[in-house]
Amino acid sequence: MRKIMIDAVTRIEGHAKVSIQLDDDGKVADTQLHVTQIRGFEKFTEGRPYYEMPSITARICGICPISHLLAASKACDAIMSVRIPDTAVLLREILHCGQVVQSHALSFFHLSAPDLLLGMDSDPAQRNVLGLLEKFPDIARDGIALRKFGQQVIEGLAKERIHPSWVVPGGVNTPLEPAVRDKILSGLPDAKATVRRTLKFFKGNLDQFKEEIEHFGNAPSMYAGLVDAAGKLQLYDGGIRFKDADGKIVADHIASRDYRNFIGEAALANSYLKAPYFKPVGFPDGVYRVGPLARLNVARSCGTSMADAEFTEFHQRLGKIVPGSFHFHYARLIEALYGLERMEALLNDPAVLGRQIRAHAGVNCQEGVGMIEAPRGILIHHYKVNEEGAITWANLIVATGHNNLAINRSIHQVAQHFVDGNHLQEGMLNRVSAVVRAYDPCFSCSTHASGQIAMHIQLFGPQGSLLDELKSA
Amino acid sequence: MGKVLIIGYGNPLRSDDGFGWHASRLIARELAGHDVEVITCHQLTPELAEPLSQCSQAVFIDADAQGEPGEIHWREIQAQAPSSSALTHTCSPAGLLAGAARLYGRCPQAVLITVSGKSFDFGDSLSPVVSAALPKVADRVRQLVSAEG
Repeated sequence: MRKIMIDAVTRIEGHAKVSIQLDDDGKVADTQLHVTQIRGFEKFTEGRPYYEMPSITARICGICPISHLLAASKACDAIMSVRIPDTAVLLREILHCGQVVQSHALSFFHLSAPDLLLGMDSDPAQRNVLGLLEKFPDIARDGIALRKFGQQVIEGLAKERIHPSWVVPGGVNTPLEPAVRDKILSGLPDAKATVRRTLKFFKGNLDQFKEEIEHFGNAPSMYAGLVDAAGKLQLYDGGIRFKDADGKIVADHIASRDYRNFIGEAALANSYLKAPYFKPVGFPDGVYRVGPLARLNVARSCGTSMADAEFTEFHQRLGKIVPGSFHFHYARLIEALYGLERMEALLNDPAVLGRQIRAHAGVNCQEGVGMIEAPRGILIHHYKVNEEGAITWANLIVATGHNNLAINRSIHQVAQHFVDGNHLQEGMLNRVSAVVRAYDPCFSCSTHASGQIAMHIQLFGPQGSLLDELKSA
Repeated sequence: MGKVLIIGYGNPLRSDDGFGWHASRLIARELAGHDVEVITCHQLTPELAEPLSQCSQAVFIDADAQGEPGEIHWREIQAQAPSSSALTHTCSPAGLLAGAARLYGRCPQAVLITVSGKSFDFGDSLSPVVSAALPKVADRVRQLVSAEG
């Protein structure tokens, strides 16, 4: 038996590695995703006042702090037993739309476009955002502009792009000024045009990736996402809908407080990442996917005009249930369009300029669950507190956790098809990394390697001896 | 008068690594009303290429792990495309200038001011010796802004 290590998987958020076990014929026998860092927020927040949780847990991530801020605040709303003012709901969702747009732009343009535009087998030294900038400056400009717009929405509302303290238990802490609303509205036409241009380009190039589409994690799985009462896509609110691989709804409108009746969590060897599963089916067969692809698979529609036109085309082209994880990219672009349209609708609601933005209360319930759709999928914050409001227990299920089992299966499928242990090529291993990137995982964003790209491939002999290794310059 | 863009970057929760963060916030207060844009961020990202293309002079402010603590270094930066293996998370000032030129057709003159740190441990304040460099750096930047005017 020989083993190949992809250590670390690059162009993702956080740190992970992939091991590929080969048999004596050089064929892929087994694969595993290893998430090699531990953050420990569930443990070290114990004892902290519940109202600190939004600010503390936002530090989990530098890319999607808004997601944690919102999920934590919703959990705190539940602990306070308050219904937050309508204006605060609108403002929180606008902020969330801004984050979804900037995060999806980051994933598509900065992290995955180098594979999609420069090629899976292109020179790894150039296969990055700066190589993209050199060869496809128009697309790079679009990526920069779209991400900047999303960040400006966040900054306009919350005053800071990263780790703002604007969302608080009970609502938000400052109202929206008309000038800020008007500035965001004025930027929306260009942002929408950028996404539509990118969608057109992407759809026109799908045929180049027939082999990847065929083998990038299209094994059957369930899908989970939030929907509203009518079954439409929801990012800020709603209940969980589970569909099976054939598109049948197997659980619907699951309220946040009931998530544990449907979602179990297993621990995997060699990984710090928990592996949630659909409880009624059990572990490990209860594998499901979350995120843009899953959301478009479970929802009846998006609920905005341009996104719905794309939603219809997406399913007409690819089926009622779209199984291939390669299509996370496509779904992500449709959701970016939805995020912009939804933001526009919310900003045009007269109530958005309301001055009643925060409900005040103390501890009225010693347990609270907050749930939203983070850009990468369902995010759940679940807290228990004592009578003084100190956290006694916390459970966080992040989107990437939900996808853990599915990512592992996708890696296995891609490795089996593309990796030939007797003729190892960098492009083969890049496809393994690329299928991980398709999920846009956020393993964590606390620290980042500086300097060298961290690709390290080791080839072990049958007795475990190191035969060869490849380290990027 | 051309606009001056000041980019202070670093991690304010790792003590002296936050020098650029602290310096840019100080400068933003002191130069309020001037034709200056100040960006404070954790790290350099490709998005900065756009505002760089719209200014005549850029000032990058960062901490340095090398040198005597508190030592101030000032050097001009030229646009230079990254050679290889650049990650999204490790943009350099020279690479960003090259990006500005490539994407938007122009890049400014630029200087990089670094101050050697003493401690990069967890903490949200600067070492006294590094903190002492703050007014000196702010003064140099103020002179540069005046010269631009």
